[in-house]
Amino acid sequence: MTDPFATLGVPARFTFAPGDLEQRHRDLSRALHPDRHVHSPPGERRMALERAVSVNDAFRALRDPLSRAQALLALHGLSVQEGDRAPAALLMEVMELREDLDAARAKPARIAALRETVAARVAAEESVVARAFDREGAPDARDLAQARDAVVKLRYFRRFQEEADAMEE
Amino acid sequence: MAYSDKVIEHAENPRNVGTLDKEDPNVGTGLVGAPACGDVMRLQIKVTDGGVIEDAKFKTFGCGSAIASSSLATEWLKGRTLDEAETIKNTDIVAELNLPPVKIHCSVLAEDAIKSAIDDYRKKQASRRAQG
Repeated sequence: MTDPFATLGVPARFTFAPGDLEQRHRDLSRALHPDRHVHSPPGERRMALERAVSVNDAFRALRDPLSRAQALLALHGLSVQEGDRAPAALLMEVMELREDLDAARAKPARIAALRETVAARVAAEESVVARAFDREGAPDARDLAQARDAVVKLRYFRRFQEEADAMEE
Repeated sequence: MAYSDKVIEHAENPRNVGTLDKEDPNVGTGLVGAPACGDVMRLQIKVTDGGVIEDAKFKTFGCGSAIASSSLATEWLKGRTLDEAETIKNTDIVAELNLPPVKIHCSVLAEDAIKSAIDDYRKKQASRRAQG
């Protein structure tokens, strides 16, 4: 996969100011828009279109924090793969959360309370990812291992949030 | 994603959903998960002093295939000895449920859950014997 950070022309880090990536995406999309290239030679027009497509892909890969964290791991050749096993402590935590969520069905206040618990856990794991990738210089092996563990947790918390969303629909 | 009739049947009417007392020395608990999909699966067996699985329960949060795989596993486990239970392979589950290649990992997870439940039971028994 190509590096989505390079495609968008932003530094490969986890934390961005709110609206930063959106602004960058808008600016690039505007510059690459076909209307701006009606008088360009066909080759250039085609290149602008191809670049517009990869800019959209890169933005999609980076706007969501979990997917951005995975893109950062991918830059270092790391990913969460089929066949990987989750640590026991996480599985116990997640099983309990999912059972609590199941029991909270049709009780909006309880669902909201569980969501808050999970949001705090997400923030904690995102700060682990940020610690690895926001600082100057390349992350070391320990940073990367911790960031990968954090991404595994974030994937489980994301599934919880999706389930809570589905319940509230 | 097209599910086979058997997967749909198990996912809609899962067998043996529930919990056994994990503190019970005759109960073995397996808790496994696949981070790639965010699935979590708990499978429990209750074993007689003669080494036969008299009850099996599961709880799975995951896709239909993961639920069906663990549901089927509990059905197969009941009445088997531990040694027989250990011979259950993920490929048996794949064949029975007609799982497509992208869902084979669900059956692997179920086999894993069976093995860790048996493991947990044996460890409990061993530490009990050690305590005399």
